Amino acid sequence: MSALMSLIPNRSEAGAAFLIPQTKEGVPARLVMIFGSLGAGGERRVHYVFDTGESRYSEIVLPAEAPVHSISPQVPAAAWYEREICDQYGILIANHPDLRPLLLHDNWPSAVHPMVDPVAAVPWSKREYRFLEVRGEGIAEVAVGPVHAGIIEPGHFRFSVVGDTILHLELRHFYTHKGTEKLFEGKPAADGAMLAESVSGDNSFAHAVCYSQAVESALDIEAPPRAAALRLIGLELERLACHISDVGGLCTDVGFSVPAAYATGLKETLLQASARCCGTRYWRGIAVPGGLRFDLDSGRVAALAEATAQIHREFSEIAQLVVETPSIQNRFETAGVLRREVAQDLAVVGPVARASGVNIDVRRDHPYGGYPSYSIDIPVTHYGDVMARARIRIAEAAVSAGLIQEAANSLPGGSILAPIALEAEGLGFSAVESPRGELCYWLELRPGRLTRCHVKSPSFQNWPAMPFAVAGNIIADFPLVNKSFNLSYSGCDR
Amino acid sequence: MIGDVIVRSLRQADRVIPIEELLGNCDGSRMPDIVADRLTPAIAEKIAGVCPTAALASDEFAGRLCLRLSYGRCVGCGRCIDVGESAVVPAKRFAWSGVAKDQTVRCWDASGRGELTPPAPAPEEARAEIHSMLQRALNVRELDAGSCNGCETEITALTNPYYDLERFGIHFVASPKHADMLLVTGPVTRNMADAVKATYEAVPAPKLVVAVGACGCSAGIFRGSHAIIGAVDDVIPVDGYIPGCPPTPAMLVTGMLEVLRRRVAR
Repeated sequence: MSALMSLIPNRSEAGAAFLIPQTKEGVPARLVMIFGSLGAGGERRVHYVFDTGESRYSEIVLPAEAPVHSISPQVPAAAWYEREICDQYGILIANHPDLRPLLLHDNWPSAVHPMVDPVAAVPWSKREYRFLEVRGEGIAEVAVGPVHAGIIEPGHFRFSVVGDTILHLELRHFYTHKGTEKLFEGKPAADGAMLAESVSGDNSFAHAVCYSQAVESALDIEAPPRAAALRLIGLELERLACHISDVGGLCTDVGFSVPAAYATGLKETLLQASARCCGTRYWRGIAVPGGLRFDLDSGRVAALAEATAQIHREFSEIAQLVVETPSIQNRFETAGVLRREVAQDLAVVGPVARASGVNIDVRRDHPYGGYPSYSIDIPVTHYGDVMARARIRIAEAAVSAGLIQEAANSLPGGSILAPIALEAEGLGFSAVESPRGELCYWLELRPGRLTRCHVKSPSFQNWPAMPFAVAGNIIADFPLVNKSFNLSYSGCDR
Repeated sequence: MIGDVIVRSLRQADRVIPIEELLGNCDGSRMPDIVADRLTPAIAEKIAGVCPTAALASDEFAGRLCLRLSYGRCVGCGRCIDVGESAVVPAKRFAWSGVAKDQTVRCWDASGRGELTPPAPAPEEARAEIHSMLQRALNVRELDAGSCNGCETEITALTNPYYDLERFGIHFVASPKHADMLLVTGPVTRNMADAVKATYEAVPAPKLVVAVGACGCSAGIFRGSHAIIGAVDDVIPVDGYIPGCPPTPAMLVTGMLEVLRRRVAR
């Protein structure tokens, strides 16, 4: 039941613009991702993936040896993707509003594009990166990062402020860019899963499952039902742990340390219960193409489900009290509003989208793995502020806890691994609803080895929306708004 | 309301884990251990062949066939355990946290005649020293040099009610200028290299640097990427290594205290 892709035949000539696909209702389809690849003869191509509202995603492939027209003016969500393929492949994008380097910083020579050029001993260089400058009376710039004050990943924020009020925020990320997509190339299909789980360390299981499903789709096989059910439990457990941690983190950022400490304790209880069930706190090393690396004892899974129910009960009670606390309401409500139109223009995904009235969830819209057996309640609200994002997470935690119970109570028996043909070839795609939203892997196998693997992380999609939520707020509320988005830097930077 | 939240939270049972149970604990870490007398040259070769990060190597040393296990490179994938015919098992205790680089490598005779490297310092024995040493506070600055965020998640866990790092007088500070110790995670990316050096320079001497996780110790699964420089010690000097992918909070506590113990003993 994996979300296989239907390829829309490309009728465009090189250099010609194509029509943005539309949904049945006649509105432009949501952009899922854009990425580059090389054809059999080494010629560069651009892939555009859209969600037209059908259960299958659609893909358009264009030749890219000649300049490609930018779609960013019509589809603002495309802006970072087009900058990325320009950096990676040197694909020229015509009429792009802002083609500054994205992945590769000042010390990388502008003529070297790592996905097509040799990368051994690339010389150090110095090029200038120009931030957008906001001019006017009383406007000051505040530069934050890349090294931040807490135990947080690195990234740079350039604020233009008037007094305490943020006029404009420019992000400069990709400090943790590790060339992961290039590292996938040449690896045997079975080895990619452990690299995938190191793309974003707190969503490691979602990445491993998504990668594995993409290989399964390339080989046209399915993980056995028991493996699919156990994967579902792991995915929902990861979501529950992340949401508990996020609600606690929001309390930390407004100085409400008692429930914050309580939440960190609950999350730790969950991780320890995981370790007792499967020997790992974050379900690393479990998902592999074809299913799972080892079976989990049904008794232990039942014990984990029981522990999860207890943890969720405690979490929902404390979380309810938190959102009813007037001083919390005072800080959370109307802070960092992301308007629905902006969320749609930037194709925002996950809890952030659902808090701004965008009703999308891969588990329901493009069901995969064990999800088709369940009808999933997707909470949506339209306020778009910090409180809305907190409430969405609290509601989703309840759904996840329920799914874990249901799946553990009806765990199928049988095998946990479908055999994988070592020399298999094919194109694979998979989408998974990770705790941060829609996560996609697209990969190409040529005799058993990866020749291309693109990772669309929800953080890459959602980061550009954050400056819109921050504008107009005071700078002291920035950490709170940022936490309410809870985006991964490593997942974005790869 | 605010009072209800506080009352509810304070009614929680005490969750703090005693130090005796933390030192050397590695539950949930996936680190492997070798059962020396079950090792054969064939097994040594087989497990070295399946290791994705070359943490295991089977080679000649002092005229005999040996198996080397470099914990700094191990990402805990468990493949060696899968094919190791019970000569490789999940580690029950882990004492190679916070040690010097050469101590992160263990070596066995491949024909089952035992371990050739000296045993790692037993964490328990250091207790008295640690307590006498931590009469004064230790300020730690965490630095992400390009990590996947897995190590950060575990380092953050050190402040939760189970581990409560503050009880040892260890706390995390916001500025490198306030720090005694840098806890550095991740392979150092090309984009972060300058910031890593600047942060190191900003820490006042005497300073301790600890490389955390398989990536911090050896660049881990990212070794060979064009976008990274390498491990932490390829960029700044390192005093101690904490293996793991990611290291568990117990391994982090053990490692940080071991780095301190070695510093005092010096």
